Amino acid sequence: MVPTSYYVLLSAALFTIGAMGMLVRRNAIVLFMSVELMLNAANLALVAFARQQVNPDGQVLVFFVITVAAAEVAVGLALLVAIFRSKRTTDVDEVSTLRG
Amino acid sequence: MFNFIWLIPLLPLVGFALNVFVIRREREAGYVATGAVALSFLVALATFIQFAFSPPAEAKPPRVDLVLWNWISVGEFNVPFGLLFDPLSGVMVLLVTGVGALIHLYSIGYMHGDSRVVRYFAYLNLFVAMMLFLVMSDNMLLLFLGWEGVGLCSFLLIGHWFERRTATSAAAKAFVVNRIGDAAFLVAMMAIFAHFGTLSFYDIELADGAVIEGFLERADEISGLIFSIPGQNFLVSTGIAFLLLIGVTGKSAQLPLFVWLPDAMAGPTPVSALIHAATMVTAGVYLMARTHPIFELSAATQGWVTWIGALTALIAATAAVAQWDIKRVLAYSTVSQLGFMVAAAGMGAYVAAIFHLLTHGVFKALLFLGSGSVIHGTHDTQDMRKMGGLREHMPTTFITYLVGAGALAGIFPLAGFWSKDEIIAHAWSGQNFSIFLLLFVSSLLTAFYMGRQIALTFFGQQRDHSYHAHESGQVMTMPLMILAVGAVLAGAMNLPMLHWLSTWLEPTLHEHAAEFGVTQLILAVVTTLLAAGSGYLGWRYYVANSAKIKPGAKDPLYRYSGDIWEALEEAWYIDRAYEKLTVVPGFRALARFMAGVFDPQGIDGLVRGVGYAFSQAASALRVFQSGFVRTYALLFLAGVVMVVGYLLII
Repeated sequence: MVPTSYYVLLSAALFTIGAMGMLVRRNAIVLFMSVELMLNAANLALVAFARQQVNPDGQVLVFFVITVAAAEVAVGLALLVAIFRSKRTTDVDEVSTLRG
Repeated sequence: MFNFIWLIPLLPLVGFALNVFVIRREREAGYVATGAVALSFLVALATFIQFAFSPPAEAKPPRVDLVLWNWISVGEFNVPFGLLFDPLSGVMVLLVTGVGALIHLYSIGYMHGDSRVVRYFAYLNLFVAMMLFLVMSDNMLLLFLGWEGVGLCSFLLIGHWFERRTATSAAAKAFVVNRIGDAAFLVAMMAIFAHFGTLSFYDIELADGAVIEGFLERADEISGLIFSIPGQNFLVSTGIAFLLLIGVTGKSAQLPLFVWLPDAMAGPTPVSALIHAATMVTAGVYLMARTHPIFELSAATQGWVTWIGALTALIAATAAVAQWDIKRVLAYSTVSQLGFMVAAAGMGAYVAAIFHLLTHGVFKALLFLGSGSVIHGTHDTQDMRKMGGLREHMPTTFITYLVGAGALAGIFPLAGFWSKDEIIAHAWSGQNFSIFLLLFVSSLLTAFYMGRQIALTFFGQQRDHSYHAHESGQVMTMPLMILAVGAVLAGAMNLPMLHWLSTWLEPTLHEHAAEFGVTQLILAVVTTLLAAGSGYLGWRYYVANSAKIKPGAKDPLYRYSGDIWEALEEAWYIDRAYEKLTVVPGFRALARFMAGVFDPQGIDGLVRGVGYAFSQAASALRVFQSGFVRTYALLFLAGVVMVVGYLLII
């Protein structure tokens, strides 16, 4: 059996990639993908610990996270389409009208 | 009827509520207000009659004490909301509601066409209710509620025509001057509670059998008790009585706080009649009669009371001689007559004080309403130099005014003769010659200025033809006639030999009727003859010199007295002394500091400072709101790292 630490390391790596992608990329679609990556990194960690602890709670929680993530993507993509229609771009740095 | 005495103050209060919340039209307001006070008078009369024929025997002194509810109860401090009806309250209630109802009726005519009649009647009703609480209270605190309530109504009604600057400043002045007396009253109340542990006048048995003790019946407990301030020892009773006296000088317009009353004439004339002549200003005299056991413990304070009263009587009488404004003459005359009452109370002649209070309430209301009728009939003329010859145009007003003036001057057999003579006789038999002299001269001056006023107003030729004088309507002359009858008959209350009022008040005031002997008879005859002579002199002089009196001209007597006359016109410059001593250095400096320093820098600084701090903080924080989503993400990440790091370390 694969030790739990492998899963957790993979999860951490995925999360870091997601976070870095969030920070360095400007394309809104890639940002979304990065967010998804982070969410799924968390999911992976939850499932791994659930298996180690023989406790189904973590697995149940993953289903909730997936549901929420789906809703988030739906809303986010709708926003993205709206932004693209008015600004003709998906570069988030171009969308900074609310600068204080 | 005894269980219904709560109706007496409640009815005017209901009238007030109706006028405030329901009634919008002038006509109804007058009827409701008058009806409420008239009904209250009927209830009071019925109660009074029952009290006279079958007094409640169980209580000593005889009284009806109706505790409506427990008002304040904090630890040892118990104040029930209790109404008291005893001989003293009874006569006061009859005066307040009786004269009050007539003045309400008169107001319907006088205030007709005014722009704020409903409000006027609402305040008038509230005033009557508060005055009834004052005289029917069975404890100091409820009395204080009425005391402040009448002060408030006085303020509101003086300022009824608030478009006029004189009215608003007179209202503010009355309020501020009264406040000085009220503060002293409050301290006196605290001292009473500190020494007796109660504020009730007499013992009260509550519904659950508990008894609240009263302090009047055991005032002796503080006799001889001493308190010290560094370097000086005082009797406790002197301290309390003196504080009460300061309260009295404020409310009853005595030296040195009388200055608000002449200015209070800026209000509508019926208000002057009701509040500033017949009822509210008598509250101080009532208070002294009610709390007389405390005053009697302190000979020092009684001396002060007597002297303040007598000096006020003289100073105000001299000031009244030199006034041109028809209402200001009466205002100073009121101050002077209140001085008589206070002096009587100081000499221990409480019955005489209350007797004069009652008769004065009737005939001074009559005089004020008469002057209101004159003002009404001459289209708001108040300067007597512009009047003259009005007896042909206003016969009813003239006759009733003559009766009132005679009563005030103390002409036999009108009401003022009996009551004022009793006070002067007391000063005589008390071997107090200087007081007697002050009061005697004042009473002669009283007759003189009334003669002068009658001559200036009603005799001679009309000096200003810019108006067409006419008699007032029936709704105004009816109260005048009723009050005139009262001014003739009121003296019968306490005729020498019969002493009905003395007997009636004896249980409450513990004062036996004075002897009436040959000395008193001679004194009475001399007083009334001299008063009549002095009144005739005043009348004769001003009728003879009526050609010299023109609007804006000096008084004919000015030629003989010069600067003294000017001092009289200004009431011995007491008002101006206040201005020089307190208003200019103290109040103005304070106002300047407040307006120039405290308000712009303190208050405004605080307000602006809050706004400035927020805008500074905002411009510091807006740096973070760059509009770049990725910056937000970075900050978010940094925040998460910090929180997680914190959790790891702990």
